[in-house]
Amino acid sequence: MPDFSLSPELESLRDMARKFARTEMVPHAAECDRSARFPEEIYRKAHALGLMNLNVPAEFGGTGLSLLEQCLIVEELAYACGGMTTSIIANCLALEPILLAASPEQKQRYLPSFCSEYHLASFCLTEPGGGSDAGALRTRARREGEEYVLDGEKCFITNAPHASLYTVFATLDPAARHRGIAAFVVPRSAKGLTPGKDEEKMGHRASSTSTVRFDGVRVPVADRLGAEGEGFALAMRTLDQTRTPIGALATGIAQAALDHAARYALKRETFGKPIAEHQAIQIKLANMAQAVHASRLLTWHAAWTIDRGQKGTLESSIAKCFASDAALHVADEAIQTFGGYGYMKEYPVEKLLRDAKLTQIYEGANEIQRTVIARELLRGYA
Amino acid sequence: MTPSVLVVGEPHGDGLAPVTAEAVGVAHVLAGADGPVAGLVGGAGSASAIRELGQFGVGRVLRIDDPGVEGASPGALARAVAAAASTVGARLVLLGGTTFGRDLAGRVAVAWNAAAVNGATDLRWDGEALLARRPVLGGRATETRRLLGGRYVVSTRPHAFPVPERPPVSPSVEAAPAGPVPPLLLGPKRLGVKAVPSGSGPALADAAIVVSGGRGVRAPENFRLVEELASALGAAVGASRAVTDAGWRPASLQVGQTGRTVAPQLYIAIGISGAIQHLVGMMSSRVIVAINNDPAASIFRVADYGIAGDLFEIVPALTAEVRRVRGT
Amino acid sequence: MEIVVCLKPVPDAETRARPLPDGTRFDPEGVKFVLAGYDESAVEQALLLKEAIPGSAVHAISLGARSRTDEVLRAAIALGCDSATAIEASPAAFEDPIAVAAGLRAAIEGLPHDLVLLGKQSGDEEEGLVPGALGELLGLPHFGFVVDLRWDATSQRLRFGRSTEAGEESWEAPLPCVIGLQQAWNDPRTAKLPAILKSRRAPIATVRAPTGPPEGPTSEPARFELPPPRTGAKMIEYRTPAEAATKLVRILSEEAKVFP
Repeated sequence: MPDFSLSPELESLRDMARKFARTEMVPHAAECDRSARFPEEIYRKAHALGLMNLNVPAEFGGTGLSLLEQCLIVEELAYACGGMTTSIIANCLALEPILLAASPEQKQRYLPSFCSEYHLASFCLTEPGGGSDAGALRTRARREGEEYVLDGEKCFITNAPHASLYTVFATLDPAARHRGIAAFVVPRSAKGLTPGKDEEKMGHRASSTSTVRFDGVRVPVADRLGAEGEGFALAMRTLDQTRTPIGALATGIAQAALDHAARYALKRETFGKPIAEHQAIQIKLANMAQAVHASRLLTWHAAWTIDRGQKGTLESSIAKCFASDAALHVADEAIQTFGGYGYMKEYPVEKLLRDAKLTQIYEGANEIQRTVIARELLRGYA
Repeated sequence: MTPSVLVVGEPHGDGLAPVTAEAVGVAHVLAGADGPVAGLVGGAGSASAIRELGQFGVGRVLRIDDPGVEGASPGALARAVAAAASTVGARLVLLGGTTFGRDLAGRVAVAWNAAAVNGATDLRWDGEALLARRPVLGGRATETRRLLGGRYVVSTRPHAFPVPERPPVSPSVEAAPAGPVPPLLLGPKRLGVKAVPSGSGPALADAAIVVSGGRGVRAPENFRLVEELASALGAAVGASRAVTDAGWRPASLQVGQTGRTVAPQLYIAIGISGAIQHLVGMMSSRVIVAINNDPAASIFRVADYGIAGDLFEIVPALTAEVRRVRGT
Repeated sequence: MEIVVCLKPVPDAETRARPLPDGTRFDPEGVKFVLAGYDESAVEQALLLKEAIPGSAVHAISLGARSRTDEVLRAAIALGCDSATAIEASPAAFEDPIAVAAGLRAAIEGLPHDLVLLGKQSGDEEEGLVPGALGELLGLPHFGFVVDLRWDATSQRLRFGRSTEAGEESWEAPLPCVIGLQQAWNDPRTAKLPAILKSRRAPIATVRAPTGPPEGPTSEPARFELPPPRTGAKMIEYRTPAEAATKLVRILSEEAKVFP
C-alpha cells in the first residue's frame, strides 16, 4: 500500500524550507515583484542554507535530495514567491546535464564550487526561433581542432545576467536535427558570451531572464558534456528530472491562493454574513481545494516514481501540466473571491495569477506536455 | 481552619510595587474573614513598605535585615522566603507575577517543598487543594491547575486582582529568620541598576494601556505618531517584530511570541497586520483596538474595535481627541 | 565551557488549541510539537558562547514524550549542539513544572555543566518556574529574564543584563550557574539542509526521570478552556478621521469602560 504520510525527516526538511520562505522571502515578495528587483541577498542566504543545489550529491558538497524531498521544499518556497523560487532552483536545472552526462573529472571541476560558494548557473536551450521544437535549434557549434566555436542566441534564460556558468545546447549539423546536437559547459568569462538585458516580465519579477548571445565563443573539447549528437537526449533527460518540481512550484502558488481566498472569505461580509457562508463562494473554495490537493498528490507520485528509478515521463508531464493549469485557475478564483480588492496590486492575489501563468509555459509548454502524455498513453493501446 | 498566607513584598521605588497590593487583596480572600496574612519585606526602604502593607490590612510583617540577601542572586532571597513561610506557618506564599516574583516562585517552591504556579488570574480553595487559573498558549486558552500537597507558592498576574479595601492597621514587625546562605548563591553580584526614566511612561509588562506600532507606520520617524498617542494616554509603547527587526525601535519593546507577553486593560494596535507571532503576545488584553488600512488584516479578527483607514490621519486625530477629553 | 541547554517541545504557535473531551487539559491529538522561539534563542545563545570560547561543547536535553523530544533534540543537533539527551518520565511528571525541573536535574547531573541555559518560559504554559526550581535543585545560583549574556574571559565570569520592573540591571556571576533567558533578543540561526539530514542519524541518549514521593507537592491540570471566540472587531464607521477618533474614545469610555 502506498504511504502518504511524511516521515519526521521529510517533515523537518519541509519545515525548514517553510521557515525560510516565511521569514526571508515573504517580507520581500511584494516589493521585489513591484520593482522587478533580483534579491541577491535572499538567494545568497538560500545558498548558505543548502536550499540552492538540491540535486547535487553530497560528495560534491550539495544537498543530494531525492526528487520527493526537492518537491516538498520547492512547494514551500513557491508558497512565498514563485519568482524567487524559479531563481533559487534554476541551478538544479542548469547543473542537471552535468550530473547526468559529465565525466567524473568534469563533475569535480564544475560542481564543488557551486556548493561551497554562491554561484548561479543557467540552462541555455530555448532560442528566439523556437522553444518547444528543441530539435530545430540554430545555435551552431563548429569543431576547430581541440575547440568548438559557438555562434547563436538563446532566449528566456533564467538567471542569465547573474550566472557564472552556462550549460548550452548547440547543433553541429542542423540537417541532422535531434541527432546533431551537443551540450557544452561555458563559463561567463568566455570571450564572445554576452547576456542580454533583463526582460520586463508579467510575473516572476524577482527572477531574472535574458537572452544570451554567443559570438565565436571558443569552448575546449574537455567542456563538452557527453558525446556529439547526444545533446538532445540529454536535454530531454534533464527535463524529465526537473519537470516534477515545476509541479511542486505551481502547487505552492495554488496553495497560497487558496489560503488567501479562504481567510478573506471568512472575514469579508456581504448581505450580513461572511462570504464564506455563501454557497457560491463555498463551491469556489471547494473546487480550489480539490485542485490543490490533486496537484500535490500528482507531484508526489511523479517524484516517487522517478525516485524509484523509473523514467516517469508520463507521470511528471501529468503532474507539471495539471498543477500549472490548476495554479492558474486557483489564482484566478482567488482574485474572484476577493472581488475588486483582488484586482488591486495592494492585495497579494493578482501576483499569484501572474506568477502561475509562467508555470504553464516554461520547462516544456503544456501543449508539449499534452503531446507527451498522449504519446505515452497511446503507446499502451497500440 | 484558617489558612495563613505570606505575601512577599516587591520593592518599587520607596515603597511596594502595585502588584503586591493586588496580591495582598487575594491573600485576604484566601485566608478567610480573619485568617492571618503576613508580609515579608526587604531591609532597605522597608519603613514605607511596612506602612503600605498596614494600609492594606496586613497585621504582621517580617523584615529581612541581612544586607547580603539584597543584591545577591534570587537564590539567596528564596531561602529567606522559605524560612519566613515556615515561621508564620503559611500554607500559601503569594508573590506579584512580575519579573521579580515569577523568577523567585520556582525557587521558593523547591526550597519550601511546595507546589507552584505563576501568573494566576483567579485563585480559590478546593478543599485542601488550591485551584489556580491562568492564561496559556499566549492567551489563546486558559488553564486551571490544581495544586496539591498542602503548601503552595503562587504569583499573581498584574491587574488580575483588585487592590484591597481594608481598614488600615499598624503591623507588628519582626526580624525574618536568618538562615545560612550557601556561599555559591552569594557569588553573583549586581553591578548596577539603571532606573527606567520616569518620563518614558509605564513599563510594558505592567502598563494598563499599551499602544503598539507595526510595519504599517512605514518609517522609523513616523513611529512618533504611536508614541504621541501613548503619551496622551499614559500608556506604554510596544512594537511588532517587523519594527524591532528593522531596528526602528529596540527589541525590548517587541510584543509577541519571541518578545513580551502583555495583558493590559487596553491594547491599541496601529499598522499591525496581526501575524500569529504578534497575536500570542497580546491576545489576553481585555480590550483590543486595531487601526489598519487593510480591512482584511487578521488583527481585526482578534480586535474588539477596529478602524479601517489611514493611520497617518486616524492616529493624530485620536491623539488630539484624547488630549481634548483629558484636558491636557 | 560545558553548556547544557534545556529544550521543551511545545505546540506550534499556529496550532488550533482544543480541550480533551473531559475538559481537563489540552488535547495533543494531531498537534505538532516544535522547538519554541524562546528555546531557539537559548540554543543560539549556547552556540554563540561555544563559538566564542574554544573547547566548549553544547549538550541539548529535553523532557517529554519521546516522539516529541527526539524531534526537538534533532533540531538542536542540526543547529550545532554536540550531544542530545532525552529524558523519559511518567506523563504526570510532564505536567508539573517542579517535577520537570527534577527530571532535568537527573540529566544535567550526568553531564558536565558549567552553565545551564533555558528559554525564559516555555511557549505553551508560560510558567517561568523551571529555571528557579532547577537552580535550587542543583544548588546553583539562577537568574531568569536574562538578556545580553556574555562571557568575560578576563574575570572568568558571566556578564548579563536583566530587565526588571526596577530598571535595567547589570550582573556578573561566576560559574556554575543556571540562566533563564528573556525574549529572543538574538537572531536564532536556521539549520542548514545538510545538517538537518545529518541530524536524523545522530544518537540520542536516554535518561529516566525520578518519580517523586506519592503525597508530595505537585500540580495537575484541572480544566482547559478556550475563550469565547472573538467574533471580529466591531468596525467603526466614519466620514472624517476626527469622527473616527471621537467615536472610538466614546466607545472606550462608555462601552468598554477602559477610558479615561
